[in-house]
Amino acid sequence: MVTVTDTLRALDVHVGPVEMRLPSEPALSRVLRLAASGVAALAHRSVNEIEDIKIAVSEVFIALIEHGDGHQIAMQMSAEPDGFFIVGSTLVAFFDVSHPDLQLCRTVLADVCVEHSIEVNGGYTEIRALVRRDEIA
Amino acid sequence: MADQVENDTLTVEIAEDGVIVVHGDIDIAGGPVLDEALVRSEQVQPVVLDLSDVYFIDSSGLRSLLNASRRARLADSHVVLRAVGAEVRRLLEITGTSGQFTIDGYRD
Repeated sequence: MVTVTDTLRALDVHVGPVEMRLPSEPALSRVLRLAASGVAALAHRSVNEIEDIKIAVSEVFIALIEHGDGHQIAMQMSAEPDGFFIVGSTLVAFFDVSHPDLQLCRTVLADVCVEHSIEVNGGYTEIRALVRRDEIA
Repeated sequence: MADQVENDTLTVEIAEDGVIVVHGDIDIAGGPVLDEALVRSEQVQPVVLDLSDVYFIDSSGLRSLLNASRRARLADSHVVLRAVGAEVRRLLEITGTSGQFTIDGYRD
């Protein structure tokens, strides 16, 4: 059965993936939020969703800067019917996924995202996050 | 204003009465500016922060506030957050850290 919600979601605009490569520079966190807000707004996301997306993209960037080795950070954002996908990655010799400073970041990601993961593989660390969709009334 | 520290992301004014007035985003770039202002002004207790012009905070910014709270508690004092906006309030709730601060009102 096709519900009204399904129909409205089918009309959603897909935007992305939009890819950015940034130096490991804290000041660029604001630039990233601005870009993420723009992508989300193009996809007709609600104000609440955009707030969550801004938080999530910042948290991914924080984790890669604070626990990375200062190498370039690749960020990918995509607005899709199921939610807003964020993938951040960087080259890291050792990424301590249990570092205490990372726990606060993960607590925030766990709340604003449907799911998130941190994978360390082949010298790269990749963080994936999916920001939930608001329920359509 | 008695003192001011800033970068491209955050401006922090330390008023004559010791209140720390924050303007901008408390994020990974703004956090160090806030840290500097907090260390400069911690001789005045309790530490009072006016957050009426803060519309974004992330976990790195929250860490600055939590570190200030820990230092204040060691000095048998506390950190007061004044005019807390929805964004800051939400992060405090998500992380369960509201109890680390004394909340002195919310921004309308």
